Amino acid sequence: MSAGINTYKTDLREIFFTLFEQFGFGQVAGQAPFDAWGPDEARAVLQETYRFAREVLGPLNSSGDREGCRLENGAVITPKGFKDAWKKLYEQGFKTVAVSPDHGGQGGPIMLQVLIEEILSGANSAFNMYPGLAFGAAELIAECGTPEQKKLYVERMLNGTWGGTMCLTEPHAGSDVGAAKSTARKNADGTYSIRGTKIFISGGDHDLAENVVHLVLARIEGAAPGTKGLSLFIVPKIRVNADGSLAGGNDVSVGSIEHKMGIRASATCVLNFGENDGCVGELVGGVENVGMSQMFKMMNGARIAVGIQGVSLASAAYFNALEYAKDRKQGAHLSKWKDPSAPRVAIIEHPDVRRMLLEMKAHVEGIRALIVKLAMHTDKAQMMAGKDDDQAAYHRGQVELLTPLVKSYASDQAFRLCAQGIQVYGGAGYCQDYPVEQYTRDSKIFSIYEGTNHIQAMDLVGRKMGQAGGANFQQFMADVGGFIEANREHKVYGEAVKQLAAAQEGVMASAMAVLGWSQDPSKMTLIPLSANRFLNMMSELAVGWLLLDAAIIAERVGEKATGDEKAFYEGKKFSALWYARNVLPNVEQAARMMALEDTSSVEISNTAFGSI
Amino acid sequence: MKILVTAKRVEDPESKIKVKPDGSGIVQEGLKYKINPFDEIGVEEGLRLVAKHGGEVVVVSIGGKEVQEQLRHALAMGATRAVWVNHTGPLDQMGVAGLLQKVAEKEKPDLVILGKQAIDDDQNQVGQYLAEFLGWGQATFASKVESLESEQEKNKVPALQMGADNKSVRVVREVDNGLATLECALPAVVTTDLRLNLPRYASLPGIMKAKSKPIEELTPAKLSVDVTPKVQVLKMASPPPRKAGIKVPDVATLVDKLRNEAKVV
Repeated sequence: MSAGINTYKTDLREIFFTLFEQFGFGQVAGQAPFDAWGPDEARAVLQETYRFAREVLGPLNSSGDREGCRLENGAVITPKGFKDAWKKLYEQGFKTVAVSPDHGGQGGPIMLQVLIEEILSGANSAFNMYPGLAFGAAELIAECGTPEQKKLYVERMLNGTWGGTMCLTEPHAGSDVGAAKSTARKNADGTYSIRGTKIFISGGDHDLAENVVHLVLARIEGAAPGTKGLSLFIVPKIRVNADGSLAGGNDVSVGSIEHKMGIRASATCVLNFGENDGCVGELVGGVENVGMSQMFKMMNGARIAVGIQGVSLASAAYFNALEYAKDRKQGAHLSKWKDPSAPRVAIIEHPDVRRMLLEMKAHVEGIRALIVKLAMHTDKAQMMAGKDDDQAAYHRGQVELLTPLVKSYASDQAFRLCAQGIQVYGGAGYCQDYPVEQYTRDSKIFSIYEGTNHIQAMDLVGRKMGQAGGANFQQFMADVGGFIEANREHKVYGEAVKQLAAAQEGVMASAMAVLGWSQDPSKMTLIPLSANRFLNMMSELAVGWLLLDAAIIAERVGEKATGDEKAFYEGKKFSALWYARNVLPNVEQAARMMALEDTSSVEISNTAFGSI
Repeated sequence: MKILVTAKRVEDPESKIKVKPDGSGIVQEGLKYKINPFDEIGVEEGLRLVAKHGGEVVVVSIGGKEVQEQLRHALAMGATRAVWVNHTGPLDQMGVAGLLQKVAEKEKPDLVILGKQAIDDDQNQVGQYLAEFLGWGQATFASKVESLESEQEKNKVPALQMGADNKSVRVVREVDNGLATLECALPAVVTTDLRLNLPRYASLPGIMKAKSKPIEELTPAKLSVDVTPKVQVLKMASPPPRKAGIKVPDVATLVDKLRNEAKVV
């Protein structure tokens, strides 16, 4: 199967706006620890990444989907062209923008990295899983490993020599990861013998790199049950010597690969460790029973990465649908609907198609802004560390709070918006001739893996809201409140800002309700029943805020613009107005639903659901 | 060896190019720019040659401050340093070749590589003028026998072959009836065709290093070149829009129309 045609497209102007104009890249770049960076470098990197994505990764997106992965003689064969693309990706080096120079990176801001990832993932989300997981696993070792482990693994996993995975899930331990049965027995030399089966391991085996380094959660014999007794091990597919040379098999075998709805070019493996008692692992950082907290370092990054995957495909679907709508002729203009001889117009002239497109545009821009905002807080936390503890804590807190929003809202909306992309095309979009059907299939997994979106919602209401005594949440609400106060009387956006204020009140009232339920055992079930709704409300508040913020910035600078630039800034205005009028009122409505305290779905008996 | 390569700033072919209503030029607002793709192929070839034979690639561009963007791109790809001839205002092919001549005389490269043409005006003249002005040999439309999918291309092997002691260069040229091979004494001027190589992406470390690589600023005055254009653009216009086609009932009508209306058979 030969490589196809690239269908990925994005608008770098919009990406530059978010990075430079809305989130002030210039205030982060150029200062320690980002001294080496400036807007010119960021622009050049994004332009070159976009070119690379369209020329190298994009053409392999549909061919990879159709060919899928194969398991031959116990080894995964990735689709044609992937190996070459892997090599080129690492030659180019854009995966290591934000990696410390200690590990061969360029020490750049995460703000830039998230946008690079969006472009790479948008062109080929299945391909980008492999380097993405290698990256996450390497970062974990860089943070938690012993000096020897860092030296041996990190750089090799960041430069494409070795791949990497995260191995949590087992047949009976998915969302309930504490039920993991994999075991580790300490050997005389300090290593551990690993036994167990892991499933749903993305990139669990592949032919792109010479080795795959697995990070495996397992229970050391005699350790406590549940997550508290889990430890994390580095388990390479092929054993490695201290100098990095390969030393032979490590009794890690691929049981099977899954046949999936989407991301079919990403190998999802069942991995068997130690079937012949020959699987050796080393304890990450040499510390027992802290595997879960170590793994969370990778999971937090991975959750943000899933949000990026979401916006990447929603955006790709939007621009493809937009291009099609401008080109495809069907029907007469509404003003001439009774005249059968009226000229046929491009479907973008039809009000409902415009509505769908603007809905996609507004969501994509707002979600991207939310992701870049989160990344900005990560960068600023790093800048403030050791200089201003309060500021550093504030920024870290916002990262914690926004992570479940980014993961869930971006992924839920991605699937819905990609499907809406199909709707713009009509029947053509349902066919494989156009990319939106694949985007839709590929995006479904985003709401499931890396902690389902319900896990994210429970993380938000059960953990993040109350974190730091509730300070992170209060600070977020204060930031929104500050914006509302400053812009309530804005000549263009005053009404929209009032809509935002009403949404904020709704979120606040619902937050109080959740707090009340958590203190009343008789109402405890309302928390899981309402958590997803609450996460959605808070996400809509955040996205509405950021869209209005962008629009007000655009209004300031757009006054003097002409031509395409003027149109660009005008686009920001309508994204914000559409969202304020068509989404923010849902938040008020959702708050009313929260207040109904409906428990029908737990009251109904299993039999009443249906006698199946 | 030292290789001088040009990096002209041209309109990105993906931009929508519109002619100004008064025909005085194109509408520049909202346009994106990039390095002339043929020049980019030249930079790539230069980098491959110095990777094999040692030496440096010096990249040169003519224009206002904005051409530094294209110079930085070439530096990010791996060129060692840059020369910027600061000049705004109209230039014709002889003006450009005159400026490049002086830069070449100053730099004394073994080889000058230019795109066979720039994709803005598609003139295809500067390389030839430059060789004439310098009194050097020239090999235009450099190409190669191997395909762009070949192992040779994957391994970034240069297509231009240096002779013994780096005194000559062997160039495969794309000509109307196939490929012709030329051997040219150095120093020489080579212009690149499309199939010479696939230019590399600027790498991340390359982009970061580019910022600290030197760009030397020159002007036509410093180079003592009179750039007053001898060729003037009087007016630009879009080609007339294509007219709608018609359906003919049968072959006889078609032949009739081709013969009597279009007068092509």
